[in-house]
Amino acid sequence: MTTKGAASPWRDPVALLAVPAVLYLLVVYAFPLLWLFMKSLTGPTGLTVQPYVSFLSDPFNWRIVGNTLRVAGWVTLVCFLIGYPAAFALARAGALLQIVMLVSIILPLSIGAVVKAFAWQIVLRRDGVVAQLLVGVGIWDEPQRLLFTETGLVLGAANIFLPFMILPIYSVVKLINPRLSEAGATLGATPLYRFTHVTLPLTLPGVVSGVAFVFSMSVSMFVIPSLLIGDRFQTLSTLMGRSFLLMRNEQLGSTTAVILLVLAVSIVVGSTWLARRLGGSAT
Amino acid sequence: MNKSPTTRSRTAVLNRRTILAAAGAATAALAAPRILHAQGKELVVGGAASHKGFVETIIAPVVEKKFSCKVVFEGSRSLVNLEKMQKNKDKQYLSVVMMDDPVMIPAVAEGLLAPLTAAKVPNLAALKPGTIHMDGMWCNYLQPWLGIAYNPKAMKTAPTSWADVYDPKYKGRVILPSLQNTEGLANLFMAAFLATGKPMAEAQKDIDAGFKKLVTIKPNLLTAYTQMPQAYNLLEQGEGFMISSAISQVALERKAAGAPVEIAVPKEGIFAMPSGVALVKGGPQPELAAGYINEMIGPEIQAKLSAATYSLPTNKDTPVPAGAPTNATIFGIDWKFVADNRADWVKRWDRDMAM
Repeated sequence: MTTKGAASPWRDPVALLAVPAVLYLLVVYAFPLLWLFMKSLTGPTGLTVQPYVSFLSDPFNWRIVGNTLRVAGWVTLVCFLIGYPAAFALARAGALLQIVMLVSIILPLSIGAVVKAFAWQIVLRRDGVVAQLLVGVGIWDEPQRLLFTETGLVLGAANIFLPFMILPIYSVVKLINPRLSEAGATLGATPLYRFTHVTLPLTLPGVVSGVAFVFSMSVSMFVIPSLLIGDRFQTLSTLMGRSFLLMRNEQLGSTTAVILLVLAVSIVVGSTWLARRLGGSAT
Repeated sequence: MNKSPTTRSRTAVLNRRTILAAAGAATAALAAPRILHAQGKELVVGGAASHKGFVETIIAPVVEKKFSCKVVFEGSRSLVNLEKMQKNKDKQYLSVVMMDDPVMIPAVAEGLLAPLTAAKVPNLAALKPGTIHMDGMWCNYLQPWLGIAYNPKAMKTAPTSWADVYDPKYKGRVILPSLQNTEGLANLFMAAFLATGKPMAEAQKDIDAGFKKLVTIKPNLLTAYTQMPQAYNLLEQGEGFMISSAISQVALERKAAGAPVEIAVPKEGIFAMPSGVALVKGGPQPELAAGYINEMIGPEIQAKLSAATYSLPTNKDTPVPAGAPTNATIFGIDWKFVADNRADWVKRWDRDMAM
């Protein structure tokens, strides 16, 4: 990606096309974020890091951080396991089938998360289809509760975020020449070897952006956990929401927001970097 | 640069407020003594968005006819009303506020309310004990009550006691409001009452005992909700059997709509929810405002209002509407104590009630 033209965009007038977007993001995103950050550092007597010290020295808050990261990690993994093969099916499907598949992936995005969360409530309840299925095939002796459990939350959230995993992977897969894998086969590579040494490295950019999308959305989700798991399972987002809305404690709210942002950004950036390195060494 | 849309709309609001205040001042100056019967006056009342229906169909017609005035209702939320009063402290445009009791406390502390007196509001004398607060800074015009909502299809016998929700046979079937929700406080106080056996006025101060009892409900908990529609959804589908501490108004509206919902009056008693009304200090039309409150707690409006909202009247001479509990013990809540400690309780709730 780094070519000799790397410095030239600054002289290229095309770069000016980004000006409206940059201004927009500065006004509605960067400045408020800066304001939020300053708010978290402002105590009654000026600059202070006390809010961070007291937040991080409370073991309960570490549990909240753990809840947030664990659920986001599971959601991302489930989305990847379901989404990765689906992206291949989508990319290799015939024209008509591909349209049908794309519509069925994209259309659900137009339904709000609240509606989906309520639908999951029906699916996951004790006489819902999941429980009936598990009892029917003999995995469960009797219906058990799935609703308001971490499993239920992960299932529901993965359903809502799945398109954001499939689409970036699909966009990469459709550019890969299927013959590459066949070429590997003629050279005697086993299917597993071909997958780990040809297909996976080539799809890695799509996987990285899919993981980044899904992880950052699930680490910050607010409505879905409040409907699918309730008040007894706190995440950083729900804690932030109540600090502003109920406790009217702007300092705790902005401190939590900054911690969430730092965690999410560093995990996304870190895993991207790691994936690129691993991908680079594999090829 | 041009003014942003926000700035412009704020200017518009300020202009309207300025005009209202100026109009109020002009009327007051012109028609000083016999203000109540002058023509074309306007009274601005702030309340919750959910109050709009009954203010406009039940209260306003009576008040407008009696005082030949126009009632303008601004529906938002209790906290928004508080902010409106704080921001306009020198030039109030609201005359009356209808807010939850917990929000009245900071309003009193900031000197935003004017006391109600028997001279200005004679119907105060007819109110039930415990419904006039902080020496008349506000009074309750209604008592929506809290009982146990249940699904009669899922439970053949109705719950009879607040202790029933702790019964192990209801494993995973009980829904509680979060402590963030005002109605959620009732479970904490009732837990203290059940654990200590003290009278409610004392028991509700023993929060530690309350929490120790409340955690024992955890195996029975289906969920603790913050969004009430979800709780009713679960109850009506039969996934949950009971909502412990449900608001009469909500449960009985669902029942009236044909949903399988009933509300039980436990033998220990029921809680009264806070529906307060107060005079804004320095607000325009103070006498008209007092007249509005007087009518609100008078027999005519009380009868209509309590029936329409499935709540208890606070005027002791008004009959209890059909279907409402007639001789149950009604527990009051010390809202000052709540306001001082709520943040700590919510913090403890998070820890103790976590999955």
